[in-house]
Amino acid sequence: MRIKIGLSSAIVISLLVSIPLFAHHGNTAYDTNKAVVLKGATVTKFVWGNPHTFLMVDVKDDKGNVVHWAGEAGSPSSLGLLGWTKDSVQSGDVITVYIYQSKTGRPVGRLNKIVLADGTTLKDSALGYREQ
Amino acid sequence: MKNYFVSPIVVIAVLAFSSFALAQDTPTSRPGQVDQRPPSVYQKMADAGPGGPAPVHDLNGFWNGPLEPKFGDMPSLTPAGQAKFKLNIPDPFSAHSNDPWRTCDPFGFPRSATNETRGLAFATMPQGIVLMTQYQKIWRMVWMDGRALPTNVGKKGGPSSRWYGYSIGHWDGDNTLVVETTGVDDKTWIDRRGYPHSVDMHVEERYTRVDHNDLELTVKIDDPKMYTKPFVSVTNKFKFTPQQQEDEQLCVPSEAIDYLNTIAIPAGQDEVGQK
Repeated sequence: MRIKIGLSSAIVISLLVSIPLFAHHGNTAYDTNKAVVLKGATVTKFVWGNPHTFLMVDVKDDKGNVVHWAGEAGSPSSLGLLGWTKDSVQSGDVITVYIYQSKTGRPVGRLNKIVLADGTTLKDSALGYREQ
Repeated sequence: MKNYFVSPIVVIAVLAFSSFALAQDTPTSRPGQVDQRPPSVYQKMADAGPGGPAPVHDLNGFWNGPLEPKFGDMPSLTPAGQAKFKLNIPDPFSAHSNDPWRTCDPFGFPRSATNETRGLAFATMPQGIVLMTQYQKIWRMVWMDGRALPTNVGKKGGPSSRWYGYSIGHWDGDNTLVVETTGVDDKTWIDRRGYPHSVDMHVEERYTRVDHNDLELTVKIDDPKMYTKPFVSVTNKFKFTPQQQEDEQLCVPSEAIDYLNTIAIPAGQDEVGQK
């Protein structure tokens, strides 16, 4: 039993220590269990930048109030491999956003994917792996 | 009982290595996730083969590399090095770090060779070789005309230290370019972990063209003020790019500040201790 506990502890500790140490861009700030879906989101800003691209949208909540959301995605180099370009989305576009919200509860997070008005789906380079 | 401690060490070593692999350009998937990221240009060239013998004294052209290199030896800091290392708080995504990357300050050297290594190029000039890095479109002049490195950088009457220091080079055999650098401003970091250096640091880069398509790099640091012994900072491998096509990878200060204010701070990245 002591062996099992010792090994288990070692595995847990080594995971805790090694992954944050070497991860390139972490996402521990976000609740990645389930993506929040923002339908009818109007793009207000799209920054195609390093180290991370990010998107800002306005979307109405259940009470009809406009909420300003912001979501980050991978670098242009990573997103480019998935079909994104600097002009994939532009201010005024109405899209659907799948986003992993910050654990703070604020309207900010990491994109899972976006769906454009014509149905085109653009996935994030990291967490967009996961189908929602 | 003794053996119980051997196993965890092995486990830690294996996991540390595997998590390092996560930081590379290798697509990874986790339970419940579908791996859909297509391979990068570098990954596509993994099976390209040697492409013939390496030409003599010729690294010219554009090379693709992985996102990040492999770290080498664990640096052994002097007391002065430890004191300086403690002041460096790495994380480009934190409002409270002092990582030069956070506001897109120049990487300087040798960080330009140890961080964001997707693209590298060489061009031969009349008196030297220009070594270019895709990330931030960095240009370094490596003098090949026999001149010596400056020895009094930062001293009275001597030349000023610089972000990328002063570099000279020579060929070791037919296919290895050796670049020596000193006089680097000590506000630059050795790597993304925040290891420091002094102006007197001496760096040796060895670029060995193994065959036509493969280039291997070793970066070695010698800085007695900061480290008790010389060490290999990183090793890396590059592939000759058939199309000779680079990407534009620029860290833009205004965008980085915008990112911090719009994403990192509201998302509470500091609050969860993201490093």
